[in-house]
Amino acid sequence: AAPSGGKSGSGKARLVVVGGGFGGATAAKYLKMMDAGLDVTLVERNKQFVSCPLSNEVISGHGKYEGLLAGYDGLMKRGVNVVFDDATAVDPASKSVKLKSGTSLKYDFLVLSPGIDFNYAGIEGYSEALANTTHPHAYKAGPQTLALKKQLEGMKDGQTFVITVPPGPFRCPPGPYERASQVANYFKHHGMNKSKVIIADANDSFSKKGLFEQAWKRHYPGMIEWVAGAAGGKVVKFDAKTNTASSDFNDYKGDVVNIIPPHHAGMIAKSTGLTNDKGWCSVDMLTMESTVHKDIYVVGDSTVHGELPVYGAPKSAHMANTQAKVAVGAIIAKINGVPAPEPFFVNTCYSIAETDWGFSVVHIYRAKEGKLVYDTKAGGISPVNMADESALKMQRKLESEYCIGWFKNIMADAFA
Amino acid sequence: PTEDLARTCNACHGVNGVSVGPSMPSIGGLPEAHLKNVMLQWKTDERYSATMGRHFKGYTEAELSALATYYSKLPYVPTVQKADDKIMAKGKEATDRCETCHGATGGEPDDAETPKLNGQWAQYLELELMKYRNDAVKMPHKKMRNNAKKLADEDVAAVAEFYAAQPK
Ligand SMILES: Cc1cc2nc3c(=O)[nH]c(=O)nc-3n(C[C@H](O)[C@H](O)[C@H](O)COP(=O)(O)OP(=O)(O)OC[C@H]3O[C@@H](n4cnc5c(N)ncnc54)[C@H](O)[C@@H]3O)c2cc1C
Ligand code: HEC
Ligand code: HEC
Repeated sequence: AAPSGGKSGSGKARLVVVGGGFGGATAAKYLKMMDAGLDVTLVERNKQFVSCPLSNEVISGHGKYEGLLAGYDGLMKRGVNVVFDDATAVDPASKSVKLKSGTSLKYDFLVLSPGIDFNYAGIEGYSEALANTTHPHAYKAGPQTLALKKQLEGMKDGQTFVITVPPGPFRCPPGPYERASQVANYFKHHGMNKSKVIIADANDSFSKKGLFEQAWKRHYPGMIEWVAGAAGGKVVKFDAKTNTASSDFNDYKGDVVNIIPPHHAGMIAKSTGLTNDKGWCSVDMLTMESTVHKDIYVVGDSTVHGELPVYGAPKSAHMANTQAKVAVGAIIAKINGVPAPEPFFVNTCYSIAETDWGFSVVHIYRAKEGKLVYDTKAGGISPVNMADESALKMQRKLESEYCIGWFKNIMADAFA
Repeated sequence: PTEDLARTCNACHGVNGVSVGPSMPSIGGLPEAHLKNVMLQWKTDERYSATMGRHFKGYTEAELSALATYYSKLPYVPTVQKADDKIMAKGKEATDRCETCHGATGGEPDDAETPKLNGQWAQYLELELMKYRNDAVKMPHKKMRNNAKKLADEDVAAVAEFYAAQPK
C-alpha cells in the first residue's frame, strides 16, 4: 500500500484516470498542467473520441462527423501516459486497476470518468443488438450517430420519427429535445412538411421547455408533438417488427423509432461498488471523492452530484469538465497535505433548434458551509421573450454561434 | 483563489484566455480597466450579453475584479487571421473613424478602457459590432455605439476581418 500522504515510493504520486471523455481527458490534462511531476496514466478503450455535443447537428446534416472527433496526441505530448485498453476491474484495497490485456496499474489516486452505460432491460424488447443494427439510440456518439442520420435521410414526406425519452436523470437533459428540433429541421428543409416528430417522454417536464416550445411554434409549427409521462409518454416496451414503442397506455408507431434507453453510471463504476441503488455514484460535493472508497474520485455523467433534488448537477460535457478540474485541485492539495481549494462548478448547455436560433441554460454552483449550493440569483435560461423582435433574433443568433465557439474551446480544453 | 475560478473560464475562452473558437473572444492580456468595466456591468445588468451576464451574477464584485486583474496580467496572444487584399482595403477605409481610440490596427488603444482588437477573432468582433448597432439592447458606451452605427452594413464584416488580420 502507498505510504500516508498519498506519495508513492518514488516520491511521485501515481495517478490513474479511467475514461478519456470530457471528464477524464480534462482530468488527465490538468493533472499534468498543474503538477508536471505527477505520474499520470489515462486508460481509454477507444483510440478516437467522438463527441456527443453537436452530434444532433450531424444527424440533421448541419455539422460534419469529422468535427466531432478528437485523438489523444495532445495529452501524450503533455506527458500523459495513454493506454488504449479496457479497465475491467478496480480493487480499492490494493489500489489497482486491472486491464483487459492482463496488466494491472497501481494508483495512489484514481479518477473515474466512464460516462454512462445503458439499462436495455428497462425497455422490454429493446437490446444492445438492436441498438447496434436496426435501431440505434445514438446516445453515445459514434457509428450509431451515422446510422440514425442515414435512417432520417431515408424517410419520406408524411412519415413519423419517434423519440423515446427515459426517466431522468439522463445525460444531456436538453439532448432529446434538441434532437427533435434537428429532425424537424431536416424535414422542413427537405420538403417533408407533412412529416412529424413524436417525443414520448417518461418525464413530465424538460430542460429549457419554454425555449424549445417557442422554437417549435416558430420554426416547425405542428411538426413536433411532446407527450408527457403523465399523459402516457413513458415507454416501457418496444416491438422491432412493427416499429412500435409502447407505454402502459399508448402505442407509438414510427417509420423511424429512436429509443433512448435508461442509463446508469459506466459499468466500471458499478462493478467497483461505487453506485447507489439508482445506479449513480455519490460523491463528496466539494471534492468529487467517492463516498464509498477513498482516493477514488468520480466525475462526469457517472455521478449524482450532491443532494440537490431540483438543481442537481446536470450530466453535461461542461459539468464534467469543471468537475474534473475540481477533482484535480482536491487531489493535488491532498498530495501536498493542504486543504482542498474552494471548488467552482459551472455549467452551460447550448442547444441549436434552427439555423441562427440557439439558446442556453447556465448553472452556477457555490460552496457554502461545506455544501454545494445552486445560485438562484445567477444562471437560468436565455430570455424566452424580449421587448423587441430584433433583440430576440440577435440573442438567438448569438447563442447559436457561441455554441460552436464553446464546442471548439471545450474540445481543446480537454484534448489539446 | 482566483486561478481556481479562472480555470472554469477555459472551457469557453481557452487556457490563459487564448480562445480557439472564432465566436468566443480571447481575454488574456486585455486591459484591466476594460475587463473590470464589462464584467461589473454584466453583474449589475447595465450591459447586455447573450450568455456571460448569467454567469457573473454568481460571483462577487471582489472575485470579478480579481479575475480582471488576473487576465490583464497574462500575455495578449493575437490570433492572426489572413484576409484578402480587397477586404483589407475596405476594412482600412471603414476604420478611419475608429483610429483615434483604437489605433490604426486596433493594437494601440488610446486608453485603458479600450480593448485590443488586433488578432481578436473576426467572428467575435462582428458579433460585438452587431450588439453595438442594435439600440434595443443595453451597451453603455455611447461613443462606441455611435461609431458602430455609422458603419455601412456591408462594411461590418470587413472591419472585423481587418482587425483580426493585424499581428499588432
Ligand atoms: C446527443 C447528445 C448531445 C449532447 N450535447 C451536449 C452539449 O451540447 N453540451 C454538453 O455540455 N453536453 C452535451 N451532452 C452530454 C455529454 O456528452 C456528456 O455529459 C459528457 O460526455 C460526459 O462526460 P464523461 O467524461 O462523463 O463521459 P464520456 O464523455 O462519455 O466519456 C467516457 C469515456 O470513458 C471510456 N470508458 C468507459 N468505460 C471504460 C473502461 N472500463 N475502460 C476504458 N475506457 C472506458 C469511454 O470509451 C469514453 O471515452 C450531449 C450528449 C448527447 C448524447
Ligand atoms: C459558457 C461559455 C463561457 C464561459 C464559461 C465564460 N465565458 Fe466569458 N464570454 C462568453 C461569451 C458568449 C461572451 C460574449 C458576451 C456575451 O455573452 O454575449 C464572453 C465574453 C467575455 C468577456 C468580454 C471580452 C471583451 O473583449 O469584451 C470577458 C471579459 C469574459 N467573457 C470573461 C470571462 C471570465 C473571466 C470567465 C470565467 C470566470 C468567463 N468569461 C467564462 C462565454 C463564456
Ligand atoms: C471614442 C472612442 C472609440 C471610437 C471612436 C471607437 N471605439 Fe470601439 N471601443 C471603444 C471602447 C471604450 C470600447 C469598449 C466599450 C465598452 O465597454 O462597451 C470599444 C469596443 C469596441 C469593440 C468590442 C471589442 C471587444 O473586445 O468586445 C469593437 C469590435 C470596436 N470597439 C470596434 C470599433 C470600430 C469598428 C470603430 C469605428 C467604426 C470604433 N470601435 C470606434 C472606443 C472607441
